[in-house]
Amino acid sequence: MNTPPKYPLRFFRWFCHPDYLEDIEGDLVERFHSNLKKKGGKNARWNFAKDVIRLFRPGIIRSFTGMYKSNDYDMFRNHLKVALRALWKNKSSTIINMVGLTIGITSCLLIALFIQHELSYDKFQPKANRIARVVMEYSFDGSSDTEKGTFTSTKVAPVFSRIFPEVIKGIRMTDATKILLLNNEPVAESGFMFADSSFFDAFHYEMLHGNPATALNGTNKIVLTESMANKYFPEQNALGKTLEVGTEKIPYEVTGVIRDYPYNSQMRFDFLASFSSLGRNQEETYFNANYTTYLLLNDKYSFASLEKKINPFMEKEMEGSGTKISFSLEHFDKIHLHSPYSDFVQNTSIGYLYVLSGVALLILMIVCFTYINLTTAKSIERAKEVGVRKVSGAVRGQLFWQFIVESFTLCQLAIVVSIGLAAILLPSFNQLIDRSLRLTDLYTVNFFLVVASIAIIISLVAGGYPALVLARIQPAKVLKGVFKNTSSARWLQQSLTIFQFGISVFLIICTLVIQSQLDFIQKTDLGYDRDHVIQLPIDWSHSHQSISTFKKELINNAQVLNASRTANSPVNIESGYSMRLPSMPENKAIPVNANPVDNNYLEVSGLQLIAGTNFTGQQVTATDVDDFDQMIFHYIINESAAKKLGWTPEEAIGQEMVLNKEGIIVGVIQDFNFQSLKNGINPLVLFTASWGQKLLVKINGNDVPSTLEYIETQWKQFMPDRPFSYHFINEDYNRLYNTELQLGKTMNLFSGIAIILACLGLYGLTSYMIQQRKKEVSIRKVLGASVWSLLNNLSSNFVRLVLLAILIASPIAYLLMQQWLSQFTYRINLPWWVIVLTGLVVVSIAMVTTGIHGLKAAMANPVANLRSE
Amino acid sequence: MSKYHLGEFEEIVMLTVAILNNEAYGVAIIDEMEERLNRKVSIGSLQTVLRRLEKKGYLESRFGEATAIRGGKRKRYFSITAYGKRVLTEVKEQRLGLWNAIPQLSLKSITMIPMIK
Repeated sequence: MNTPPKYPLRFFRWFCHPDYLEDIEGDLVERFHSNLKKKGGKNARWNFAKDVIRLFRPGIIRSFTGMYKSNDYDMFRNHLKVALRALWKNKSSTIINMVGLTIGITSCLLIALFIQHELSYDKFQPKANRIARVVMEYSFDGSSDTEKGTFTSTKVAPVFSRIFPEVIKGIRMTDATKILLLNNEPVAESGFMFADSSFFDAFHYEMLHGNPATALNGTNKIVLTESMANKYFPEQNALGKTLEVGTEKIPYEVTGVIRDYPYNSQMRFDFLASFSSLGRNQEETYFNANYTTYLLLNDKYSFASLEKKINPFMEKEMEGSGTKISFSLEHFDKIHLHSPYSDFVQNTSIGYLYVLSGVALLILMIVCFTYINLTTAKSIERAKEVGVRKVSGAVRGQLFWQFIVESFTLCQLAIVVSIGLAAILLPSFNQLIDRSLRLTDLYTVNFFLVVASIAIIISLVAGGYPALVLARIQPAKVLKGVFKNTSSARWLQQSLTIFQFGISVFLIICTLVIQSQLDFIQKTDLGYDRDHVIQLPIDWSHSHQSISTFKKELINNAQVLNASRTANSPVNIESGYSMRLPSMPENKAIPVNANPVDNNYLEVSGLQLIAGTNFTGQQVTATDVDDFDQMIFHYIINESAAKKLGWTPEEAIGQEMVLNKEGIIVGVIQDFNFQSLKNGINPLVLFTASWGQKLLVKINGNDVPSTLEYIETQWKQFMPDRPFSYHFINEDYNRLYNTELQLGKTMNLFSGIAIILACLGLYGLTSYMIQQRKKEVSIRKVLGASVWSLLNNLSSNFVRLVLLAILIASPIAYLLMQQWLSQFTYRINLPWWVIVLTGLVVVSIAMVTTGIHGLKAAMANPVANLRSE
Repeated sequence: MSKYHLGEFEEIVMLTVAILNNEAYGVAIIDEMEERLNRKVSIGSLQTVLRRLEKKGYLESRFGEATAIRGGKRKRYFSITAYGKRVLTEVKEQRLGLWNAIPQLSLKSITMIPMIK
C-alpha cells in the first residue's frame, strides 16, 4: 500500500481552504512518500493521519460561513427564520400544537422511562441467559385439579445437580422477615434471604470484603449489603463480626459485604444467610415445597434437553405414590416480564407494557393529527408565500424541506420543554405506578437516541403531509387568488378528526369499564367482613398460652371486638392440602385449601355458619401438644367442600374426615371468596390449631388511633422482643389487584390526556374553518338566519364526525374489554350505559368546543366582516 | 512597541524561506528547519504561519511545477517580499541593540548559561 490513507485524505480535502488545498495536499503526499521510504508503510500512514489532524486548525480550515458559505446553508437559515416568524404569527395554533406536543411527548417520555426500567430487570447478571427457575406442578391421581407455582422442596436442587449433566449448580432460596437488634432496639428486617453456598457461582454480586466462593459455606454465616453493614456496624469493618438474629438471638458470623446492587432485580435482599442455617437440608420429600430453586446450566441451549429429561425421571421417582409431580423451567432473564409467578419481587406483565406503549402511541397519533389538521387548514394563508417562492425559482423539494424544518423546530421546542416537564412530574408518576424511577435514568445515551428519533418521526409524520400539500401548490392559481383547500385535504382533515375522537372514545370506554370492575371488586360482598380488621405479625414460636393471654388482654378494651390467631387472613388463603374420607384410598384425595385457625376466627372475619357450631376453646387447646400423634383436630368446611364430599351442609356435621389427620367436622360455613376474584370458590377447610403467625384484631373503628395505641402498649408488655407493626387487611385485599389498580390509575390519567388533546385539536380546527366561513355566515345573517340555525349549520358537521367516531370506536373497545373482563370469574356485565355516557360526554365536549367559535361568528356584526374586500 | 511584531517561530520561518532562496516550499522548509535547528515541525503549524505571513505581506508565493511524487499537485514556492526584508532587518537590529546594551560583566554569565544547561 503506497498510496496515502483514504479517509484522512478525504477528510483533509473536505475541511481545507480551497485556495490552499492543492499545494498542501502536494506537501502531504510528498512527505508521505519520503516517510514511506524511510520508515515503512504503517509508520508513513500514521504520520500522514497525524499531519492531517494537525492541519485541522483555524487558518487552514475553510470557512463554513462567511463568503464561502453554501447556498444550502443560507436557505436553511432562511427557512428557520421564516419558520419562527410563522410560528410567532399564528400564536393560537402554535400554542395549541406546542401544548399538544408537549403533553404528548411528556407522556411518552414517562411511559418510555417506565418501560425501559421494566425491560432492564436482571440485565446486570452476566449469566442470566443460563439460569433457570424451577416451576413445580403437582396433582393427585384421579383428580384433574393441579397446583402450579415456583414452590419446590429442598430435594430438587441437590438431586437435579447430581442426576442431570446439564445442571452445574442448584441454588435453593427462601426469604423471611427476621428480628435484629439495632442499638438494643428490635428491628424487623424484611430483606432477609437464605441461599445455598452456590449462590455466588450463579449470581454476580461484587463482594467488597470476604470471599464469594466460601462466604455461605457452613451454618450461621451471613453476607450483608454495604448499606446494611453501615447500618449495623457503622464505621467499622463488618467482616468477622457477629449479628444476633431472631427472637432466639442466634449468632450469625458476617462472612462478606457486597456492594449495593441495582434495584431492578427479581430478588431483593439486604441480608444473605447460608441455607444450611435453616437446618432443612434433607432430601426426604418433594413435598414441603416452600423454597425457590434456581439452576445454573451449562449454557443457554441446555434448557430444552434438560426439560425433556425431567419428566420421565420424575415419573419414575413418584411411581406408586398416588401423586404426580412435574417440573418445568423458566428462563431467568424472562421471568420478570413473562412469568405468571411472582416470587421475591412482584412481576410486571408484558401485556401491561404493551397496553402502555399502545396508549403512548395513540396519544402521539392524536397530537400528530392535530398538527396535520391545523397546518393543512392554515395552508391557505401560507399559499401566497409558497406561490411567491415558486415563482422565484424554488423547487418542490426545497419547499418540502422548508415545512419539515418548521415542524422540526416546533418539535424541538416541545421536546426541550417536555424533558423539563417530565423531570418535574417524575415523582408523582412514580407514585402512580408504584416504582422508583430515577431522573438519572433519563440521561442515558439510549434515551437521547429515543428522544431524537421521536423528534424526527413526529416532524416527518406531522409535517410530511402538509409539506407535500403546500409544495404541490400551483403558483399561478394561488397568485390569481383562487386557492381553496383541496377536497382531498378536507377529506383527510375529517378522517383524522374521526380518528382522534375514535381514540378518545376508545380510551374513555376502556377506562370506565376498568373502573367499574374495580368498583365491583371493592364493593362486592365477598362473604366476609374485612373492615376494621388489623393484622399483627407474630411468631410461630409464641406459645398458645401467651397469645391467649394477650388476646384476652386486648379484648378487655371496649374498642376491640375480638382477636384471632391464624396463619392466613380470609383475604387470601392459598396453602394447599388434600382431604379425603377415612373410607377413601389415599390416592383419591381431593386437593383443598386449608387454614389453621382458633375459635375466634369466624367472629373476627364475619363468616356465616349455615350448619353446626363454631370451634370451642378446648378444641383449639387440644392441638397444643408437642407430639403430632397426640393432637386432636376439628374441622369447619365450606359449602363447596361439603358438596365435593357429597353431603348437604346438615349431613356433614359430625362426620369424620382426614386432612392433617382424622378429625370431626363441627360446622359448615357459607362460601366466601378467599382468593382473588379471578378465581372461583374452591373447597376450603378451617382446622383447629394453636399456632399461626398472624394475629387478626377486629376493632369497632370508633377511635382508631387510641385503639392502636392501646394495642401497642399491650404489645410492648407481652412481646418486648418484637417491634410493633400492623396493617389493615383491606390493604392486603387491594394488593391482590395490584396490576388492575395500576392499570386503572394509568388509564384514568392517559384517557384524560387523550380527550384533552383531541379537543384541543378540534378547537384549533374549528377556529380556522369558521374563520374561512365568516363572510358566508355574515351573508346568511343579513338574509335573516337566526343565531341558533347558524350555530347548527356551523357545528353540525363536526358533531357528525364525532358521532361517526363513536360508532367506529365503541365496538372495538367493547370487544377488547370483554376479553379483559373474561379473566375474572366474578365480573360485571359490560354495562351499556358506559357507551352511552361516553358518547354523551364526547359529543357535548365537541359541541362546546365548536360552539365557542360558532357562537362568536354567529353573534358578530355582519358589517365588520362584509365591509372589506 | 515596534509596529513590526514577529513571533519567534515566524522569524525562524522567514529566515528559512530566505535561506532557501526561491526554492522554499512546504516540505523543503520543514526539512531545512529540521536539519539546521534540529526541531520537529508539523505541516499544520508551518502552513498556518506561512499563510499568516503571506496575509501580512511579508511573504509572497507562486505555483511551481507538479511532480509525480506529489500526486500531480503543484508546489507553492514562497519568497520574501521587500516589505518582509525590511521587517526582518528591523527585528535583527532590535535584537542587536538589545545585545549591545548588555554590560560586559553580566554578558559573561549569560554566555555561561548554555554550559550550565
